[in-house]
Amino acid sequence: MRKSLLIHYGELSTKGKNRENFVESLAKNIRHALKGRTFSLKRDYDHIRIYGDELEELLPLLLDVSGINRISLAYECGLDMDEMEQTALFAYKESGGTSFKVETSRPNKAFPLQSYEISKTIGGYLLSHAEGSKVDVHSPDVRIRTIVSRKRCDIYAKTFAGAGGYPLGSLGKAMMMLSGGIDSPVAAYLLLRRGIALECVHFAAPPYTSVEAVEKVTDLLKVLNRFEAKIRLHIVPFTALQLKIYEAAGDSYAITIMRRMMTRIAVGLARRQGCLAIATGESIGQVASQTLQSLNVINDVTSFPIIRPLAAYDKTATIEIAKKIGTYDISIRPHEDCCTIFTPRHPVTRPKMDDVLKIEKSFDYQSLVDECIEKAELRLIGGED
Amino acid sequence: MVYLDNAATSRPREEAIRAYEEVSLEHFGNPSSVHGAGYDAERYLRKARDGVLSSFAVSSTHKCVFTSGASEANNIFITGIAHRFHNRGNRLITSLAEHPSVLRCFLALKEEGYDVVLLPVGEKGAVAPEELAKAMNDKTILVSLMGVNNETGALSDLMGLRDVIRRFPKCFFHSDLTQAVGKLDEPFALLDAFTFSGHKIGSLKGSGALVYRKTIDLPPLLHGGEQEGGVRPGTVDVASAYALSVALALARKEERENGEKAALLRSKLVSYLLSRPDEFVINSPFESSPFLLSFSLLKKKAAVYVEGLSEKGIYVSSVSACSSKRENVSSVVLAMGLSKERAAHAVRVSFAPYNTLEDIDAFIKASDELLKGLINQR
Repeated sequence: MRKSLLIHYGELSTKGKNRENFVESLAKNIRHALKGRTFSLKRDYDHIRIYGDELEELLPLLLDVSGINRISLAYECGLDMDEMEQTALFAYKESGGTSFKVETSRPNKAFPLQSYEISKTIGGYLLSHAEGSKVDVHSPDVRIRTIVSRKRCDIYAKTFAGAGGYPLGSLGKAMMMLSGGIDSPVAAYLLLRRGIALECVHFAAPPYTSVEAVEKVTDLLKVLNRFEAKIRLHIVPFTALQLKIYEAAGDSYAITIMRRMMTRIAVGLARRQGCLAIATGESIGQVASQTLQSLNVINDVTSFPIIRPLAAYDKTATIEIAKKIGTYDISIRPHEDCCTIFTPRHPVTRPKMDDVLKIEKSFDYQSLVDECIEKAELRLIGGED
Repeated sequence: MVYLDNAATSRPREEAIRAYEEVSLEHFGNPSSVHGAGYDAERYLRKARDGVLSSFAVSSTHKCVFTSGASEANNIFITGIAHRFHNRGNRLITSLAEHPSVLRCFLALKEEGYDVVLLPVGEKGAVAPEELAKAMNDKTILVSLMGVNNETGALSDLMGLRDVIRRFPKCFFHSDLTQAVGKLDEPFALLDAFTFSGHKIGSLKGSGALVYRKTIDLPPLLHGGEQEGGVRPGTVDVASAYALSVALALARKEERENGEKAALLRSKLVSYLLSRPDEFVINSPFESSPFLLSFSLLKKKAAVYVEGLSEKGIYVSSVSACSSKRENVSSVVLAMGLSKERAAHAVRVSFAPYNTLEDIDAFIKASDELLKGLINQR
């Protein structure tokens, strides 16, 4: 009987061709998450197995790794009914439940007993060897899963939910626009969990924004380092362009034009860095610049994909996630960012494309946009420091 | 770096650091211990206490309790008096322009059922004796009014106020002298109690004192030991107390000279601000401490102006820590009856003896550059 962490891929299993690549990157990410620990890792068609002396300690480190659907604390034994019964009894007792159901799958069709017979035999053994136990096929305390494969049998009673999604990086990379507020780190988290690697862009407009705002973003990314070990942060010097926008657009259109410029810059950086999309924390209707009408006008500057993971999230749901992942307390620090400092009293909620184009024609923004992209400062968040 | 935020905290003097180091390394015993090392530490503690009292020339009438700073000292005295002398009456008087460690204390006592009167300060930034007289009654047991306002530098007429209070023998007079000690000579001996912090006069953060009449018996705020006359439990930080007494003695000695120097710096700053009436308006009253000056911006945002100065290595203070999300305004400027806009965009510049005219020149240069570069946001 050998103990292991049995990692189930979940969604990944449905992919045919790319499967090998996915499993490859998942194994790599798992090795990274367990860096510095003693363990060994084995891959087979359905699972990744982790062996080691302190599996219970390794488990929490794996719960944030994207691409893992479930993790089971499994016991391996030989293809022998007596051994299987004893292993099942051990796993069951360890789980601490008082009612159970045995479920069996049998990829190894050469095994003499069929799935149902295996379940029945093991169930009978448990009933007679674990006092006070009963079978409950509808809502058991413990589901004892038995997998009979070609070389071995895996039995487990304890399973933990993983982060889901796909292995980080296996889906490509996106450029995340990070203001420092509550929403954008949550959006970043959702993407990372899905398996999309991120680079981030932050717009700084000193002295209208505080240097502390950049520190805030850095601290947020350090929290997200749990999901992506090294994150590139591009800090765009936005002051000159922002002042020009303010001058050209006036109170009501300043935010709309600003968002269009930010989008252009983010797309420029994304293309340069080999990202396949940009991403934002926008939530439809939340503020004037995030009405559907505004998003329509802002999005018009590019055909590049813009992902908005929070588009349909309520603020309360977003805040809940932010608290869960530990970004909330950092996000509510009071420093100004580009989005809040120029907040006009009456921003337009239904911007008109004609007006926007007229304003943008009135000044040479392209050279300023290019300068922003060129002069963006790169910081690497995470890593060995 | 040009540091002009000395009312927030100031650079410690070398003498204070050395005193702290000496006591920490050589006389580290617990003054409560009954052995040689304890006696040794106790000697330094006594030296510190005597030093503080004699700096104010109140050795025969007052006692001194070392605290973590003025905030704690204010809490101990105000809460202590209210609780101990509740049987004499329940009116407590202070002003709206007090430091939060006084004001909040009074508000907490109001919750407990005390009759708390909060006086406005008017354009002079301080409570006039006549105003105080109107609020006094036979049930009044405590008046707490600061000597120098921490945002505007406004001066209280402590003598005049005391003349009002002395007609009510059951009433104690406390003054938070954090911005006055080591800077101005006050009628210390006439006050029933006063409080101050070490780090504003060149000593270390985490030190301060409550000085009050020997005849007053205060209950402790925290319970736990007999240290500091039973008023403040916990092992006494002898090194900190000693450093405080050293810095205080020096500050008192150099008071006149430093005051004249600060007045020079301040007048230069005032001339500059007056030369730009389109951009600035001065909040500090005409008669105020030479060590600080409050003004408001008329067109720019204070947070942006202060951030811009900070980028250029010049550090001054604004009430709000750079935020449009939280509507921070200066409650002191508001208490003077000035507009909310003015209170929201107030900036404070405060001096220490080590500041020079060059520092003011640097401030003016940076300010001019900023005014040219910054857009009007209001």
